[in-house]
Amino acid sequence: MRVRCSQLVKVFPGVRALDGVDLDLRPGTVHALLGENGAGKSTLIKVLTGVHRADGGTVTLGEDGETRTVAFSRPLDAQAAGIGVVHQERNLVPSFSVAENIALQALPRRAGVVDRAAVRDLARRCLAQLDLDLDVDQPVAELSVAHMQLVEIAKALATDSQVLLLDEPTASLTADEADRLYAVVRRLREQGHVVVLVTHKLEEVFAIADVVTVLRDGRSVAGSVPLATLTRGDVVDLMVGRAHTELELSERSVDRAGTPALELRGVSTSVGHRGIDLAVHRGEIVGLYGLVGAGRSELVRALLGLDSVTGGEVLVDGDAVTIRSVGDALRRHRIGYVTENRKEEGVFLTQNLARNVAVTVWDRLARFGLVRDRDEKDLLATYRDRLGIRLSGPDQLAGQLSGGNQQKISLAKWLAADCSVLVVDEPTVGIDVRTKAAFHELIVELADQGLAILLITSDLPEMVTLADRVAVMHERRITGELLNSHHYTSMSAQVIRLVHGESAVDDPPAA
Amino acid sequence: MSTVLDEDMGAGAGQGAGASRRTALSLHRTELVLALVAVAGFGVLAATTGGNILQPGTMQAVLQFLAVPIVVGLAQMVVLSVGQMNLSVGALTGLCAMAAASLMADSGLTPWLALPAALLVGALAGLVNGTLVVLTRINGFIVTLATMSVISGLRFSINGTGTYQDYSPGLVRLGRADVLGLPVVFLVAVATAVLVWFFFARCVAGRMLLASGGNPFAARLSGISNDRSVVLAHLLSGLLAAVAGVLVVALSGSVNASVGDDLLLPSFAAPIIGGVVLTGGVVSVLGTCLAAFIVRLVDVAQAQYGINPRWVDLVVGAVVLGAVLVSQRRGKGSS
Repeated sequence: MRVRCSQLVKVFPGVRALDGVDLDLRPGTVHALLGENGAGKSTLIKVLTGVHRADGGTVTLGEDGETRTVAFSRPLDAQAAGIGVVHQERNLVPSFSVAENIALQALPRRAGVVDRAAVRDLARRCLAQLDLDLDVDQPVAELSVAHMQLVEIAKALATDSQVLLLDEPTASLTADEADRLYAVVRRLREQGHVVVLVTHKLEEVFAIADVVTVLRDGRSVAGSVPLATLTRGDVVDLMVGRAHTELELSERSVDRAGTPALELRGVSTSVGHRGIDLAVHRGEIVGLYGLVGAGRSELVRALLGLDSVTGGEVLVDGDAVTIRSVGDALRRHRIGYVTENRKEEGVFLTQNLARNVAVTVWDRLARFGLVRDRDEKDLLATYRDRLGIRLSGPDQLAGQLSGGNQQKISLAKWLAADCSVLVVDEPTVGIDVRTKAAFHELIVELADQGLAILLITSDLPEMVTLADRVAVMHERRITGELLNSHHYTSMSAQVIRLVHGESAVDDPPAA
Repeated sequence: MSTVLDEDMGAGAGQGAGASRRTALSLHRTELVLALVAVAGFGVLAATTGGNILQPGTMQAVLQFLAVPIVVGLAQMVVLSVGQMNLSVGALTGLCAMAAASLMADSGLTPWLALPAALLVGALAGLVNGTLVVLTRINGFIVTLATMSVISGLRFSINGTGTYQDYSPGLVRLGRADVLGLPVVFLVAVATAVLVWFFFARCVAGRMLLASGGNPFAARLSGISNDRSVVLAHLLSGLLAAVAGVLVVALSGSVNASVGDDLLLPSFAAPIIGGVVLTGGVVSVLGTCLAAFIVRLVDVAQAQYGINPRWVDLVVGAVVLGAVLVSQRRGKGSS
């Protein structure tokens, strides 16, 4: 079955996640879907599998002779049309057997009783199609992650899926397991299925894909191009592209001669980081870039005592310290953390704004254990003016603010605590373009005032705009560090090369 | 498209799946341990009372009064299977017992009509519980806390604080009869347990409940309606509570509105000690029955040794807490 998408558009409040995507999936091919973080890959998959409805464009199924246009409104519609998706080990019932999981979408039955023989037969057929030998009676819970993934593929085959979307299938597999998966993928291709591979790993793409589509900023910049016509360098260039209208900031100078405000020396953590060296000076913005899952937020969480630092040294203003908790980090070392999930971790949605800002300094405001409303409101007023927060009054609930203003409240909370080091994690996710620019100016302003800022972002243009230096993390290691030239084309190419494990300097980009 | 069960998906899904995975593996071990504890406890009791509880009369009493705890435990287990709770189990057992007695004593119906009517009352109440949970999206704990009060009130509205007696000598004779030394009510409870086991192990509907409880996201993507699972679980829970009510009517010979007041803790104790996962997806009929038996042994020990009855609830409560703690530790330990 051939699937063609034409000019797909999907709009979320403030963002055009898909802005004219073309995709042509032909039977018997392995189609790689590439793009940096936030390019629109996940949204495209969700539209194809009926989780989201497209706001524009068409999806047509079938060969030239007989085609039909479809609009999936729920996952089952996509499944019925023969489009199956394999999530990362999320789609199985752990206590059920392999066979039952494979057959779950339509359990063979006789008078309401599960026909166990038929369930096993179906499962064996699907597994045989993949050339897999698994015990169909084994509970899925006992399988390795790799096997679970293969069971999910078998499950998709059980509903006769012609198109299989594999979302980062090798993210948690070893090299051997990945090879096994590739063998399965090749087999599916021979049988005439389309396999869509969403991945960040270029080596994987060149190993098994035939056709590639590259997304950038919600557009397909390379729509279904045969991979044979492209080199690795071409693909990287396609993914990076050119940044559109970025905020131009005046040149900043940073004094790196003094003692860093925060320094990590050979730090390893309980969540897998090894030998991390990183330093942030006063007045400096250090960017930490990496793919989603590279371990950036995890490093900060370990640093702040939410997980543990197991080796190396953490120095604050030149003194080696041990940070046991966020409270410790805040009160003793004046390190603040503006979290990525502002809704879950950054603000108290059901509390008023004054309380949200004052929470970090209650013990400073309190007299005899009591905090006066007026003190909280004064504090809020200060930061409303300083950060330009748009609010109707101090009693407004944080949940009633827009995303950008919520983020400012989250930031105000840490500024109120008088931090000297601020970790800002994905500050502008889901924030509209104008607020984003204002936020960028704010971050630079804070650095100018002498704060040391560690910026984590997956938004490459944002990184190039803001950071003075960029450290790149890949699989929980720092793979390189670059002085930011603020020149998007050359910076982005260097960063992406570091992310994909290539040296940043061997191939000077044509700028 | 979100459903009641989807709410705790997000970040919790992976964690929950992991926990139920480990528990699934340790379930057989739990059942084995429970069987050993049951045998050991029974042996100790038999030895220290000089064989007292082995005498036919005593043994029959032990099993007779095991019937209701088994069935209310199953009633709770059914809702736990989808990750919900039903606080109205005890009150509903009482309401169904009163309804059955009233239909026989006040309306003069034969047990052949009165008992099915009581079962219908239970199933309807369960249907209301489930429908409320799904329609209002209010947590099942809160919904059944509210309906528990309502049902409790209805229970008293039937006959005030009065007691029904002599509603059906034939039924009570049957309720106290035994077959080959095994009380009829106990056999009914065992038969019920077998049916519940068959439902969860073999029936499509039962497997769907477990799929919804085990991984709501996977269930939804497999075309299973999690809402339907919730409603069905509550309906069956109500029906089983009614079965327990009917057993009370047959067994005791006299019922009043206080029936069911002391059943809420046992209803949770049996499945929780029995290894059923609170977050849903894993059930154990055998574990629930064995746990009910062990709790029953605590009761018997109290009677045999003349211990203050207050201690029984304390011991059962402590064991429930311990069982949850152990399963949590086990979950953490192997991760």
